[in-house]
Amino acid sequence: MNKFLRTLIPSDIAKGLAITGKHFCKVFFTANRRKVPFHIVSEYPEVVAKVQPRYRGRLTLLKDEQGEIKCVCCLACEKICPTQVITIEKGKKEGRKMPYPVRYDFEMERCIFCEFCVESCGFDSIILNHQFELATYNREDFSLGMEGLSQNMFEPSPVGKFSVADD
Amino acid sequence: MFKNEEMEINLGPQHPSTHGVLRVKLRLDGETITHCKPVIGYLHRGVEKICENQTFFQGQVWTDRMDYCSAVANNLGWAEANEKLFGITVPRRAQYIRTLLNEFNRLASHLIWLATHALDIGAMTVFLYAFREREDILDMNEAFCGSRLTTTAFRIGGLREDMPPGFEKMARKFLAKFPTCLEEYENLLSENRIWKKRTVGVAMLSAEDAIALGVTGPVLRAAGVPYDIRKAFPYAAYAEMDFEVPTETAADTYARYLVRMAEMRQSARIIQQCLDGMPEGPVMAKIPKILKPEVNEVYHATEAPKGELGYYLVGEKGSTNPYRFHVRAPGFINLQSLPKMAEGGLIADIVAAIGTLDIVLGEIDR
Repeated sequence: MNKFLRTLIPSDIAKGLAITGKHFCKVFFTANRRKVPFHIVSEYPEVVAKVQPRYRGRLTLLKDEQGEIKCVCCLACEKICPTQVITIEKGKKEGRKMPYPVRYDFEMERCIFCEFCVESCGFDSIILNHQFELATYNREDFSLGMEGLSQNMFEPSPVGKFSVADD
Repeated sequence: MFKNEEMEINLGPQHPSTHGVLRVKLRLDGETITHCKPVIGYLHRGVEKICENQTFFQGQVWTDRMDYCSAVANNLGWAEANEKLFGITVPRRAQYIRTLLNEFNRLASHLIWLATHALDIGAMTVFLYAFREREDILDMNEAFCGSRLTTTAFRIGGLREDMPPGFEKMARKFLAKFPTCLEEYENLLSENRIWKKRTVGVAMLSAEDAIALGVTGPVLRAAGVPYDIRKAFPYAAYAEMDFEVPTETAADTYARYLVRMAEMRQSARIIQQCLDGMPEGPVMAKIPKILKPEVNEVYHATEAPKGELGYYLVGEKGSTNPYRFHVRAPGFINLQSLPKMAEGGLIADIVAAIGTLDIVLGEIDR
């Protein structure tokens, strides 16, 4: 008899429905009032997504106050990189005691964003910026260097519209 | 007129409920499975060989990519195996933070298990709620390590950095709301008649079979064997923690569900203890810049969310690379029990069997 009643009255399913109903009401009645936001998701492409301060984004070369590249070609980052994406060519520059990177190539397509390079750098000359929208239309756009207008090692990558082949 | 004929079908490798690229060859008699053979290797990357060609320091990034649902637990095993090899003692604060992150990772991994397992069986709601909580844990991962999934959380000898400001607050906030969330899942599932019909008595694996097949983790504990490496061979700061090893005796899918839910409660308890008893001090031991091993070989086992995760490292004298690196992946060994669970059962129940094993193909194929 008891079992028959339990089959007839689905209390277990009602229990589950009560939870979904509670959540539905919470969202439904607070949806248009800005004071009590109950949204778990954000409208990402319209609302800028925030990242934590330690976020590991794209590798960026830094310059000091005089506009000089801080990198002194110790090749520590090149050696530590687990996927060998960094290639540095050592060179000289007039009026600079330390070696100067003639070429600093970065193959973003193979980069795994582990931050070992930044950790190994003893001169604080590279950081990983907070950029995560790194998609491009062409494969060549993933090879970053010191030259180039939009896709270089100093500026953040252009987002969305981007293709080097177009400009 | 009606001939009896066995039919052979493939489940996967692109089937959404095989949790990755697992292919299962099935021979069916009507709806009953008479023969079941998992075929793996679609995600093989040769992690073990890659690590042999890289330094001890670099190897960690590959362990992230083995079991990507519980990367921190994989990192912990790698870091501790290396510390064993080089004889490094890690500062106490670093041990506590490691334990803390590892338990958060266990929660994330169990939540993704709950979500996908319930979704496979047909409970869609739990999927959304479990991912809501997992998101908070991933945010904490991002705050601590800078990345959400491929964490690279630890370094040989300790941690890279101390806890970021505000991290403790995030963790406490999460802990305060997590028990109510767990109750929510249990209210949705535990007594639900559909869930019970799909799980009770499905995919049985007795304790004898589980031990004979080398199965570890929640699958073994659901068969009544209280074997947990955190208790049996304590590592990190687990020796100082007060927690229980939940077991069940039914050895079916429902028992495994109960064990994992109880484990999540214990994890929350461990996190609370870590936060309350966090010692002060440095987080990194003094280690040489280039690591060269003295001892020849080392095996270190940790309790990953899926079971016993063992790292076997052989060092060569004077070399900066491991001579041999082997992973005892819990998912790989647990998958062996799939034929035992599925044969003789219905074809619809193999989805429950795959879900309850909580496999991640990145770890199985390596």
